[in-house]
Amino acid sequence: MMHKISIKVNGDLYVLSVEPWKTLNQVLREDLNLTGTKLGCGTGDCGACTVLVDGRSVTSCLTLAVEMDGKEILTVEGLAPAGEELHPIQRAFVEKGAIQCGYCTPGMELSALYLLKNNPSPSEAEIREALSGNLCRCTGYNKIVEAVQWAAKELKAEKSKSTRSK
Amino acid sequence: MGLPKFNYVAPETVQEACQILEKLGGQAKVMAGGTDLLIKMKHGALRPKTIVGLRKIKELRKISFRKNQGLFIGAMALLEEVASHPKVKKLYPAVAYAASQTATVQIRNMGTVVGNICNAAPSADNIPSLMAFGAELIIASPNGERRILLENFFKGPGEVNLNRGELVKGVLVPPPPEGSGVSYQFISQRSKVDIAAVCVAAMVVIDKGRTRDVKIVLGAVAPTPIRALEAEGLLRGKKLADRSIQKAAEQASQEARPITDMRATSEYRRLMVAVLTKRALLEARQMALAS
Amino acid sequence: MREFSVVGKDIPRPDAWLKATGKAVYTDDIKLPGMLYGKLLRSPLPHARIVNIDVSKAQALPGVKCVITGQDIPKVKYGNWRLFPATQDEYALAIDKVRFVGDEVAAVAAIDPDIAAEALQLIEVEYEELPPVFDIESALKEGAPVIHEESPNNVSVTRKIEYGDVEEGFSKADYVREDTFTVHAVSHAYLEPCSTVAQCDLDGRITLWTSTQTPYIIQCLLASTLEMRENDVRVIKPYVGGGFGGKMELRPWEFCAAFMAKLTGRPVKFTLTREEELATGRRRHPMVIYSKVGFKKDGTLVAKDLKISLDGGGYNSMGPTATFLCGNFGAMLYRYPNYRFFGQHVYTNKPPAGAMRGFGAPQSLFATETQMNMAAEELGIDPIELRIKNAMVEGDVIPDVATISSCGFIDSLKEAARMSNWKKKRKSLAPGEGIGVGCYSFISGGVFNWFNTQYPFSAAEVRVFSDGTAHLLTMASDIGQGSDTALKQILAEELGLEMKDIRVTSADTAVTPQADLGTWGSRVTLMAGNAVIDAAKKIKEKLFGAVSARFNLNVIYDMECKGGRVYAKGRPDRGMSFGEAVAMVQKAQRGEPLVARGYYTPRGKGLVTPAFSFGAQVAHVAVDQETGKVEVKKIWTAHDCGTVINPMAAEGQLEGSIHMALGYALSEQFVMDKGKTLNTTFLDYKIPAAMDMPQSKSAIVDTYEPEGPMGAKEVGEGLVSPTAPAIAEAVYHATGYRCKDLPITPEKILKGLRDTKKRKRKRS
Repeated sequence: MMHKISIKVNGDLYVLSVEPWKTLNQVLREDLNLTGTKLGCGTGDCGACTVLVDGRSVTSCLTLAVEMDGKEILTVEGLAPAGEELHPIQRAFVEKGAIQCGYCTPGMELSALYLLKNNPSPSEAEIREALSGNLCRCTGYNKIVEAVQWAAKELKAEKSKSTRSK
Repeated sequence: MGLPKFNYVAPETVQEACQILEKLGGQAKVMAGGTDLLIKMKHGALRPKTIVGLRKIKELRKISFRKNQGLFIGAMALLEEVASHPKVKKLYPAVAYAASQTATVQIRNMGTVVGNICNAAPSADNIPSLMAFGAELIIASPNGERRILLENFFKGPGEVNLNRGELVKGVLVPPPPEGSGVSYQFISQRSKVDIAAVCVAAMVVIDKGRTRDVKIVLGAVAPTPIRALEAEGLLRGKKLADRSIQKAAEQASQEARPITDMRATSEYRRLMVAVLTKRALLEARQMALAS
Repeated sequence: MREFSVVGKDIPRPDAWLKATGKAVYTDDIKLPGMLYGKLLRSPLPHARIVNIDVSKAQALPGVKCVITGQDIPKVKYGNWRLFPATQDEYALAIDKVRFVGDEVAAVAAIDPDIAAEALQLIEVEYEELPPVFDIESALKEGAPVIHEESPNNVSVTRKIEYGDVEEGFSKADYVREDTFTVHAVSHAYLEPCSTVAQCDLDGRITLWTSTQTPYIIQCLLASTLEMRENDVRVIKPYVGGGFGGKMELRPWEFCAAFMAKLTGRPVKFTLTREEELATGRRRHPMVIYSKVGFKKDGTLVAKDLKISLDGGGYNSMGPTATFLCGNFGAMLYRYPNYRFFGQHVYTNKPPAGAMRGFGAPQSLFATETQMNMAAEELGIDPIELRIKNAMVEGDVIPDVATISSCGFIDSLKEAARMSNWKKKRKSLAPGEGIGVGCYSFISGGVFNWFNTQYPFSAAEVRVFSDGTAHLLTMASDIGQGSDTALKQILAEELGLEMKDIRVTSADTAVTPQADLGTWGSRVTLMAGNAVIDAAKKIKEKLFGAVSARFNLNVIYDMECKGGRVYAKGRPDRGMSFGEAVAMVQKAQRGEPLVARGYYTPRGKGLVTPAFSFGAQVAHVAVDQETGKVEVKKIWTAHDCGTVINPMAAEGQLEGSIHMALGYALSEQFVMDKGKTLNTTFLDYKIPAAMDMPQSKSAIVDTYEPEGPMGAKEVGEGLVSPTAPAIAEAVYHATGYRCKDLPITPEKILKGLRDTKKRKRKRS
């Protein structure tokens, strides 16, 4: 049986009919052609498919699309603020050499975003813990950790600038 | 890896959920976060005809504390919510800690404590500390509610004492007694982000220098989480000295019935039961004395 | 020393933008109109004869468009060692026998992946079980089951190396030790599961988008197995999510996608699941390594005798190369006046081992380096001192193999000791802590032409334009290591342009110049880099000629391209912008665009490689004496990679190597039961997470490789070797447990601790 769901992905509203056994990952990649969200394992262990659902990071490979009715979903394609090419986290990943093959990158960035939203000044250990649900085989994580530290600083600077200008 | 086909229903009340479960019986599976269930289905280990999703039952998301009744964790309360809940962290630190050490951030944002219990893996992170606190499950059915002590809930790996039509609403943890401490310890051989190869929780209540109560719970070393009753017996009513802790730890190791699997050998598990029991008792003692 | 403008700088990779925004297209992201989805049926048995396959029920399932078995395909075997056809032992789908659990037996293409998966369940295969063998020892026994008829003793390849007089060497030794080491299989565990999409044109030509590190090899082998002409097959490499050696052969799904695309006239996609990857994918060779070394009292090496048996699994895969290379690596690092190696590649009924980062070095050097540490202890010499005493230096000759044309090994050892405060830490660490050292040397690409290519090993085409831009076309394959960036940097440097002025098109066999052997053996920077420089030089000659004529320059003037200009060296006013110079040449050529091709094939560089890298690493560990758990606290690395093209990328390679080697040393292994891999998820195949990574500090030792582009050579593959022996020595230093069989597990350490205690009790 098909289920009708309406979801907001990166601010865009989609009304879809989905089979109950389809995962959010399948719907994003196959139905919405949002292929930035990757699939690395299908069992929730690698984090390459991480997206935010109502602000919480989840692995889209273990999320049933049918349960997403009414939810807001953020994928890597929606990360950069309107009118900007890159979100500070993305810029940090590019500049700090945190990207090699790039397959873990979208999931890694969303985990970083989830962390920084809840903890704007994380310690190195907290960053490592927050990224431990995202596997990377290329970088050894160190440059990713540096990128998140850098992005945290940038985001704080931006925030204080915008509060001052208010 | 695709999922096999199934029907999906999302009842809006506990009553409705129980009625569906009563009607469908063994063909239905309850899904909280789905992080265990869906993996089992992807691997072909389970093929339910219907999944009963609990997402729409608002009351199940609740975490609440009352001084005389204790802590209630609803079936849909996320691991992350339990791990970061101020009351849980303060009064049941071992429960918060176990939840915070379960799997990864993303899984903790999807999975629930009660789901972890009902999945009934012998290695489940959240069972030992809750058992050590003497937690009970509140089980709803079309005919009303019953309570069962958590330690009586498990029948075997993945098997629990639930009848047709029953749904675990949540877990109720009694208020921690005066002078008590509970510690949760686990070890995995391979990574800091790993499924536990052995886990142990210990609870002690120290009254006038003597051990008024003690519970030692062992995980991943038997088909279900178990109490090390004889080890507990060595300590009950006695002074909690280092030497007796060491003896109890060795006794607990004898009570374990570990197997060899890809995560550890039975020999290693047995050795680790002693190490972790000792560490858990030492930490629990420290907490009890500080309380 | 030459001053660089672009080379040697921390330049962010241009492709990182696409990857950071999710716009980079990987193979599984490709969706073509009418595309079918393929799935493979794999053998559940380790060794069996196929009696019969009935596909009728699968074919009848609505939505299924094509089902094929070994009976339907051309009977052409393949394998990367084309030079020796006898080593080519694999069919895309099993024809007579299956040789490992996971061997591909049939393929289905259907309108959606779920239907394809359902159809697999409907294929009925009748097997006649054959006795299997799962380890080297049983495979070599008299009367063991024969896995390939062509190799009645289950040995498919042997290799000997000998120089000096080993027996005489040992007779002069004061101290001789013999050890046997065993090392295990590990997975590449690239994050992107293999994926491929094939399309067949109306004229029957095939286009294949595939996650590969070797498009040219895929093109050639796909053509031969499809019985097509090479040029009728076009292979395009989209963005690739890591390879590490695991994506450098023709794979059954690539063949099946192309073959079924031809049969159905519709595009066909295959994407593997992680479970398939871990359960059946290629892996690093397990080896049994016997090593005997002799020293003089003062620590001088006099002889080494090395015998290695490789557990190859069911097929040769890249095993012949690994057999060849592990013997060469055994002769590296130190000056062995007398050396003998015997290697044999043994078939077993397990998933085949293939190429994996290090390609024989992690195994061979684990033995070398552990034995060196053991010898140092018994000789009473500091392990780093013992290494310095025997270290290779520039100009050293390995008979029949190579001349070491640049070598910073001794400096690396000294720098690693300095950075780590080795001498002090070796004496005064807290209880339960230890430090240890391990070293490596690695190749910068292979010389031996086992693929039997008819083309240069690397090629580049450079097109320049009057708007001041350039276009680089190369078949070199960026799989995440950053070759597109490094080659762009090299070209920008040569032409005096900026990164943004250069467009790169890479790894499309129909468009980029023939050929490039692909990304493996750390060959790309040196070989493709040299091809780029060759092409750039040809372009520059033309530009220099035009500018020289325009300014009527004396022929003795040296000229250069720099800062977007072309001019007489020392007389910048005598020149013009790069674009103007291009326009002048083009005018002189009456419109013909200015294009040049460059090539590189190593010649006169011995049998192995044109250049070797070197390095030393120190690991600091803390071992929990009750649980046996190892925490690697810090790793110091000093390495010699010639001129560094991009320091940030080189450091990324180093840290990635540490990650992979940490898993190799401590947490990664396959748990097998009767040929079946049990740990088929990342939950139980445990690659290190961010929390598991140690602190890392590194230094690059300054060397210049004359054969390399701008002095560059290998970086980032050899570095996967020193970590396991360094950690093993640190664990020994901390606990007294000496690991001779990887991985180092808590359980082995606890047993080692008990044995140490027993020994001490006996002594006292």
